Amino acid sequence: MAIANVKVEGLQKSFWDESRGEVRAVDGIDFDCQPGEVFGLLGANGAGKTTTLRMLATILKPTGGSASLNGYDVLADPEAVRRSLGFYSASTALYPRLTGRETLEFFARINGYPANQVAQRVEELIDRFGIREYAGARVGKLSSGMKQKISIARTIVHDPPILIFDEPTVGLDVMAALEMQNVVHELRDEGKVIIFSTHIMSEAEKLCDRIGIIHQGRILALGTLEEHRQATGKHYLEDVFVHEVMQAEDQRANAMASPGEPRTSL
Amino acid sequence: MSPKRSDNTSVLGTLFRCEIKRLMRDARVLLISVFAPLVIVPGYILVMQWIGNSEEQRLEDTVYEYALSGDEVEWGGEIVSAALALEANDPDTSQAIARFERQQVTNADSLLESGEIHLVVEALSPEAYERRSSTEETTTDTLDPEEDEGAPEIEEGSDGGTASELQLPIIRLRFRSNSDFSRRAHDRLDARIREVRSELRDSVYLAGGFPVGREEFASVETENTASAEKEGGALLGMALTPFLLLLMLSGGSIMAVDAITGEKERGTLETLLTSAANRSEIVAAKQMGIIAVGVVVVVINVLNLLAYLVLGFLELPENLAVALSPLDLVLILILFLPLTVLISSTLLLISGYAKSYKEYQIYFFPLFLVFLVPSLAGILPGLDLRSAIALVPIAGVGVAVREIMVAEYDWLFLAIAFASTAAASWWASRLTQRTLLTERLISSSDLDEADLLGGPALFPRHVLRWFVGMWVVFFLTAIWVGGELTLQGQIILNLVVIFLGGSLLMVRRYGLDPRKVFALRPVHPAVLLAVLIGIPAAYFTGIGLSVLVDAYLFPVPQSVLEAFGEVMLDDEIPLWQLVFFICVMPGILEELAFRGVLLHGLRKTWSPVIVCLVTGGIFGLFHVDLFRLIPTAYLGVIFAAVVLLTGSIFPVMLWHFGNNAIALVPQRMGWVTEETVFPEWVFAIAFVALLVVFWIIWKFGIPYPDLKKKKPPDIF
Repeated sequence: MAIANVKVEGLQKSFWDESRGEVRAVDGIDFDCQPGEVFGLLGANGAGKTTTLRMLATILKPTGGSASLNGYDVLADPEAVRRSLGFYSASTALYPRLTGRETLEFFARINGYPANQVAQRVEELIDRFGIREYAGARVGKLSSGMKQKISIARTIVHDPPILIFDEPTVGLDVMAALEMQNVVHELRDEGKVIIFSTHIMSEAEKLCDRIGIIHQGRILALGTLEEHRQATGKHYLEDVFVHEVMQAEDQRANAMASPGEPRTSL
Repeated sequence: MSPKRSDNTSVLGTLFRCEIKRLMRDARVLLISVFAPLVIVPGYILVMQWIGNSEEQRLEDTVYEYALSGDEVEWGGEIVSAALALEANDPDTSQAIARFERQQVTNADSLLESGEIHLVVEALSPEAYERRSSTEETTTDTLDPEEDEGAPEIEEGSDGGTASELQLPIIRLRFRSNSDFSRRAHDRLDARIREVRSELRDSVYLAGGFPVGREEFASVETENTASAEKEGGALLGMALTPFLLLLMLSGGSIMAVDAITGEKERGTLETLLTSAANRSEIVAAKQMGIIAVGVVVVVINVLNLLAYLVLGFLELPENLAVALSPLDLVLILILFLPLTVLISSTLLLISGYAKSYKEYQIYFFPLFLVFLVPSLAGILPGLDLRSAIALVPIAGVGVAVREIMVAEYDWLFLAIAFASTAAASWWASRLTQRTLLTERLISSSDLDEADLLGGPALFPRHVLRWFVGMWVVFFLTAIWVGGELTLQGQIILNLVVIFLGGSLLMVRRYGLDPRKVFALRPVHPAVLLAVLIGIPAAYFTGIGLSVLVDAYLFPVPQSVLEAFGEVMLDDEIPLWQLVFFICVMPGILEELAFRGVLLHGLRKTWSPVIVCLVTGGIFGLFHVDLFRLIPTAYLGVIFAAVVLLTGSIFPVMLWHFGNNAIALVPQRMGWVTEETVFPEWVFAIAFVALLVVFWIIWKFGIPYPDLKKKKPPDIF
C-alpha cells in the first residue's frame, strides 16, 4: 500500500520565449507533504505556483526533477497519479449543460469510482454540501456560489487521498471564501493531503500547516508559520514574505554584479 | 485508498454519453445545424425546380416578335413563312411549338436593342450584304465600347462567303444572346430556316435532274446500349461521394467545434484533463461523438430526401433508376468507412489546434476544400480505376463508388482505393492522437522542449517545412524559367542553387555540424565494392519492377521514357559534359540534400523503415514528372537504406553516380536503345544480387547513429 503523500524533488519547468529566451517558470523545487496536512504555496502572480501544481496534476510535463503522488511518479504513471488526486482551480469549470447531479456522477465514473457505489456517493455529497435543492438544475443556470459548491464536490467525488487547490478563492466573496476554507479544514481533518496555493497572506496564515514561499520558480523558505517567524524575526506572514523576497532579490543582484559560475543547463 | 478503476469501456462509454448528452441539450445548435437543413435543402431544390419550370413555361407561352428588314424583304418573308409553317406543323410533340408574330416596323435594330422585339430577320441581296458588311466595319470602329457590349449579335442564315460569290440573297438573323427569349426565338427560327434551305436545295437538285431525295445520301440512327440503371448509377455515383462528404463534414463539425475548442473556451478542458480518464480515451470518445453525429446528420438528410421523393415533392431525372444490390451497398459502406474516420480525425485535430471558435472556423474552410476537391474526382470524365487516382485518398473512393454504382468491379483497384484512404485515415488518427496528447492543449505556450533547446533540436521539426519550401521553389522555377534554360542551366539551378543552397542555409540556420548532417563518415572498403555490384543490380531490378508495374498496375507511356532518352542522346552536348551534369553533380549534390540533410532531420521522427520510405517518396516528388516519381522514389528508398546501414553518404554518392551513368552512357553510345528488351532472367539475377549486396552492406556497415529508439510514448 502506497503512502498517501506528495514528494517533489528538484522539479523544473522551462519554456522558451522568442523574446526572453529560456524562461524557467519552475526552477528546482523541493517539498513534501503528509496526510492530515495543509501545505501552502505562497507566492505572487507568476511565481510558478500554477505551473508547479499543473505538473503535479500531470497536465504539464516537468523538464527536470521528479514528483510522486501517493507513491506514483508523475512521469511514469500519470493516470494512477490522477486517480489519487482531486484538482480544483479557479479555471476548472463545469459543463454548463449538465446538471449538478450528472456532473458528480460523470466525474465519479471517469475517475474510476466503483460503479455500483456512484449513486450513493453522489447523494452523500449532495447532502454534505447542501446542494439538494438545485442538484437537478443545469449548472449553467446556477449562481457562482452554487457552482462553487458543485465544483468542490466534483473535486472530491472519487474520494482521492490528495487534493490540490490552486488559488481556489480567487474572485470569491468573503462568505464563499470562508466556506472554501471550512471545506479545506474538514478535508484535512479527514486525513487528506492538501496542497493549497494562494497569494493572500491571511489565508495562508489561517489555513496552512506549513508554508513554502515561492518566488521566480524557487522556494525561498519553507516551514510552519512559527518557523518562518523565528527565521526572519517578523511576526506577520506578510512581513516574512517581503523579507524573503527582498533577500532573494538582493542575492540575485549581487550574483549578477559579480559573475559567478555559469548556470547549469538542463 | 485504492486507485483501482472500472474497465476502459465504461470510462469510454461515460465520456461518449456525456458528449452526446451535452450536444442534445444544445437546442439552438440542433435546430440550426440538424433540423434546419431538413427543410432548407429540399426547399432549395423545390424552389430551383419551380423557377426552372416557370421559366420554361414563360418561354413556351411567349409569342416571339420579329421584324423583317433589308432589300429582299419579300423573298425573306417567304422563307420565314415556310420555316414557320414547318414549326407550326411539327409532328414531334416532345417540345412545345414556338409561336412567332411579325411586326411591321421601320427601326428594327433599335427595337431589338431596346428589347421590344426578339429577333430581326434581314434579307439582303449580295450587293446590299457587301455594303452592309463594309459600313458595319467602319461604324463598329466608331461605336462607343459600352454601347458595343449590348450590340445585337449577328448571325448569318447562310454560308456567307460562298453565298455572296454565288450572287444569292442572304438571310441574317439578329438577336440578343443575353435574353433567353431572344436566344430561343433565334434558335428555333434558325433551325427551321436551315430545314427550308435543305428542302429548297433538294428541289433544285431534282429540277436539275438529280433523282435523289435527301434521305438517300445517308441515314443515321443512334442507339444507347447503357441501361437506365447504368446511366442513373453513373449520375448518382458521381454525386454521392461529394454529397455525403459535405453532409459528414458539416454534421461532424457540429460536434467537433465543441469537442475541444469549446471545452477550451469554457475552461472545462482542464477539469477533464485532471481526471483519471486517460487522454486516448478522451480523444477516442470525442472522435466517436463526431462520427456518430456526422453519420446521424447524413442519415437524417438522406432519409429526408427519400421521404420527399416518395411523397412526390421532388422528382428525380427519368433515368435515375439505380439498381443497387446488397453487395454494392456493403461495398460502398466499406469504402466510406475510412473516409468517415479521416473526416472525424481531421475535424478533431483542428478542434484541438484552434484556441477559439473563431480560429476553428478559419481552419474549417480550407479543410472543407481540401476534402471536397478530391471527392469530385468521380465527376472527371474518363477517370477509371485503372488510373493512379486510386492512390489518392478520398479521390480513389470517389471514383470507386461511381464504378460500383455502374456495376464495374475491379477488385484490385477497389482494394487500392480503400487502402489509400484507409492509410490516410490511420495517419490522420495518429496525428490527431499525438497532437492532442501534447501540452499545447492546456498550456498557453506553443513551445516545448525542442523550442527550448533551439538550434539542432528544433531542426528535425522544421526539416519538412524546408523541403516543402524547396519543392515549391523548384516547381515554380521549373514552370517559369525551365523552358528557357539549357540542360546545364537547369541542373545548376536545381542542384546548386536549390538543393545545395537550401542545405547550406539549414546547416547555418540551425547551427548543425556538417559532418553529422551530411554523414561524412568513412566506410569499410567492402561496402564500396558491394556498391559497385549494387549499381547494375538495382538498375535492372528497377527495370524489372517497372515492367511489372506496366503489366499489372497501370501502363507507363513509352513517350515519357523516350523524352528522357532524347536529352541523353542530344548530340549537341558532349559526352563528358553529360556525365558531369547528369551523373557527377546529382551523385554529389542530390545526395547531400536528400540522404544528407533530409535523412538527418527525419532520423528520429520515425522508425528507420518509415524514414527510408518517406525520404524516398520526397526524393521522388522532386522529379516532378508523375512517371519518374516511382522509379526515383524506388532509388531514393534504396539510397536511404544504404545510408542508414553504413552511416555514411559516400557509398550512395558512388551508387547514384553509377546508376545515372549506367542509364546514360550505353544509350548515348548506341549500345542499347529504347526498344532493347532484356530477358527476364536478367531481372531475377539482378534482384538476387541486390539482396546479396544489402547483406554485405549490413555486414560491414556501421549503422547511422542516433536513430529513433523504441520508447513509451511521450505522453501522459
